[in-house]
Amino acid sequence: MSEIAIRTAGLSKSYGDKKALVGLDLEVRAGEIFGLLGHNGAGKTTTVNLLTTLLPPTGGQMVIGGHDGTANPDAVRRIIGYLPENVQFYDNLTTLENLRYFGRLSGLRRPDARIDQVLEYLDFTGHENERLGTFSKGMRQRVGIAQAILHEPAVLFLDEPTSGLDPQGVRKLREIIVGLNRDLGMTIFMNTHLLSEVTKTCTSIGVLTAGELRYHDSLAATLDAFPDESSLEDIYLHLDSPRVA
Amino acid sequence: MTDTLVVARKELLDLRRDRFMALLLGFILVATTLSVIVGAAQFRIKLDEYDQYVAALKASGSAVSAAAPQLFPLQLLRGSIEYIELIGGLFAIVVGYGMVAKEKQRATIELLFSRPVRRYSVAGGKVLALAITWLVAVAVVFTVITGVLLIVGRAPLQPVDIGRLLIAAAVAWAYLLLWSSLAMALASSTKHLSTGLIAVLVLWLVVVLIIPQIGDTMDPDNQVPGGLFKSLQVAKPDEHAVLAHFAGYDTVRNGLEVSSVTKHFERLSFAFLGIKDVFNQLPIAAVARQTLAYSLSLVLASAAAVGLALLTTTRKTLLRRNS
Repeated sequence: MSEIAIRTAGLSKSYGDKKALVGLDLEVRAGEIFGLLGHNGAGKTTTVNLLTTLLPPTGGQMVIGGHDGTANPDAVRRIIGYLPENVQFYDNLTTLENLRYFGRLSGLRRPDARIDQVLEYLDFTGHENERLGTFSKGMRQRVGIAQAILHEPAVLFLDEPTSGLDPQGVRKLREIIVGLNRDLGMTIFMNTHLLSEVTKTCTSIGVLTAGELRYHDSLAATLDAFPDESSLEDIYLHLDSPRVA
Repeated sequence: MTDTLVVARKELLDLRRDRFMALLLGFILVATTLSVIVGAAQFRIKLDEYDQYVAALKASGSAVSAAAPQLFPLQLLRGSIEYIELIGGLFAIVVGYGMVAKEKQRATIELLFSRPVRRYSVAGGKVLALAITWLVAVAVVFTVITGVLLIVGRAPLQPVDIGRLLIAAAVAWAYLLLWSSLAMALASSTKHLSTGLIAVLVLWLVVVLIIPQIGDTMDPDNQVPGGLFKSLQVAKPDEHAVLAHFAGYDTVRNGLEVSSVTKHFERLSFAFLGIKDVFNQLPIAAVARQTLAYSLSLVLASAAAVGLALLTTTRKTLLRRNS
């Protein structure tokens, strides 16, 4: 794996005349937790969908873990994990059956041992044979994380991972994200509009406004660069405002 | 295990636990079985009447032997075939459409396509699951029907009858797979799920109900219960002579009917099961020869529907946002 986990150059996405992402130039180093901030409709989900190869770009290039995402998307899919916002599963199937399915599609021939390992890591053992139709949002989110990390991806993409969770669920998920980065060395790219999550979880941030990346630096450098601001929220609002070009 | 088999296995597990699916299959099974039970009971009454007649003859010391009645137990399957033709086709649409619609609506497709699955794995797995589902369903329905014929009707089924039943089951399987694959293809290829559903239901309405109904209505033999010519005491040769004067009309009527693949399914099933009198004394090979055009068209239509489902159920179509 190269030192740069994610690199994009002029990455763009348009839907007809509407530009959802405009010339994204971004580098995320391996081992970082990168938080992409932006208000609703800023283009965060479009960015994740492009980087996870779910959407084809209309322009530019992207390299994930050393693989060209447009020329060889399958190579990218092998090394990434993805947790969409409002993750959905097959409700008639149990946790184990859902995870077996995604594990096999990720290339694991005998996924059961790895599933046990992951569920234990996520403190979710005991729910293997329960059907997902009965699960709360927080439980689904943990199964979502489990399916995303089963094949030990180098880069994990999380789209609004704490959306809809109660405070306990948010705290648990935060611990999991930090733990995955610390224990397994995963590079994590997460979209969020929860600023508190960025300070507690991320090592670097980017701010996206109307499809344009307006700012990108480490969290520490960001806090240093804006000493007059009282909180990250002020910094975010400052960065997100039109006067920063 | 290949990705296609992984997808197929998951789909089968999902379908097996789907209560709505169980309800649909249960309904087909009950409807087809009840139809045969009623027919089998009447068949048994006729057999019993014959047995009583023979016994009475023997008791009276008569040396006259009673001619055995011409009974064809497979003709009792007429109602069952019609249920498969109408309701079966509709249920096949529901199952095929649901297989794609559920994934699109619930966005599980995003998780699926974030994995390195091959071009035809998802479509292939789903079609394979449909093929297995209908194979099992048809096997169950025809096994139960055969059991009813044997137990309720005490029908003396010969090995050739079992062969005829197997062929009819294969024809039903191809027919149901056709509708499921078509529904899957339309659900995949239309941007809005509702458009796909409306399109396939309109197609079902035209192919299954409207075209065959027009053809049936134009058939003079269907205007009088028991048949027009029979009720007028017209013998078969004379009937042909009369119809020869209406050759153009009959060509149009038949042309309308055979433009529907459902009619091909019906004619094939009726021919092999001997439901149509002209076929019930013929060996299977002769029936196959006479109905070759219908066999080919049904196989080709089913293969085309499967091909369409494989081509249209792609990453691009499934990930397209719908409303």
